[in-house]
Amino acid sequence: MNSNENSHDPLVERVLVSFDLAAEHHISNCPPCQAERERVEDALRQFGTANREYAQRPERFWEEQASQIRRACRQSEKQSRITATLVPSVVVLLLAAFGILGHLPATRPAAISQPAAQVDQDHELLIEVERVMQTDTPVALEPATLVVDQRNSGVPLSSRSDRKETHTNEN
Amino acid sequence: METALTSALGAAAQNITAEEFEAIVRRHQRRVHRFLLMLLRDAEEADNLTQECFLRAYQNLGSFRGESSLESWLLRIATNLARDHARSRKVSFWKRLLGLDGDQSSGGAELLPSGQASPERVLLARENVRAVWEVTSQLSQQQRAVFLLRFVEEMELHEIASAMGLQVGSVKTHLFRAVQTVRSKLRDLR
Repeated sequence: MNSNENSHDPLVERVLVSFDLAAEHHISNCPPCQAERERVEDALRQFGTANREYAQRPERFWEEQASQIRRACRQSEKQSRITATLVPSVVVLLLAAFGILGHLPATRPAAISQPAAQVDQDHELLIEVERVMQTDTPVALEPATLVVDQRNSGVPLSSRSDRKETHTNEN
Repeated sequence: METALTSALGAAAQNITAEEFEAIVRRHQRRVHRFLLMLLRDAEEADNLTQECFLRAYQNLGSFRGESSLESWLLRIATNLARDHARSRKVSFWKRLLGLDGDQSSGGAELLPSGQASPERVLLARENVRAVWEVTSQLSQQQRAVFLLRFVEEMELHEIASAMGLQVGSVKTHLFRAVQTVRSKLRDLR
């Protein structure tokens, strides 16, 4: 066999893999190849049988497995139903949320600008206080128009002098 | 092996009832499980992936067009699951392939042969099974799958091609190489 092994080798594989007329013809006329084919074929058959036996399980195993598959399928169906119900609801909610958020840009700047306006007013008041503090002129001697303005704005003239006093005390 | 139910599936697959699907499970679970067991060499994982395989099939029944047999389609899902599983556990997979994780599984070598065989014959058969088992460990996963479908599941080449998503020519090539390796291993035993 050894001398022929290399040249005949592929023929044995060929007949074992699929039907090959030429290889079959050669092997049927070549006893060493025939013996080799039977040997490999036997080993493969034994391997197949052994594995089929090895994979055998009692009927209870298959029943349990089938029932687990059934449960998993039911669970998956339930989940897909929940998803089918939830997804549109979530989409609607998201759209509504975006709709609400869409209005926010108009209200937000106002909310932000309000404290800014407050800060401006405070700043102006401080500047005014500063200005008054720096002027030595008594409130009564200030231009009449300014006094009128202050009256119109509802700030009592005394408050300005009070503020001046407070400021002096603090100092 | 196809039933009227499974062969008629194709177009109406999405309308299948739970009872009908259970009949499919009953019919194919053994083969799917055995194939995964041989491929993964892990009984627990084979069981898990068999369940996963049928769950995927159930969820994707609508995509089954009946171009291949239902069994080929199921084995294809099983092959993909085994491949993904191997990828996700690459290190332990290779350990298992190399026999470094203490898995003493011998592919049922101890079961063979039964009956009134002589002790010499029993020993020889066991040696053969062990040798083939060792060879399959060294094959690529795709080659091993093809080899197992051919010699354990005894499927036809076109069925294997359909299950593996390969051309028949590629199946032949994989088998040719695998058988060549088996032969070489058996020769070493002599």
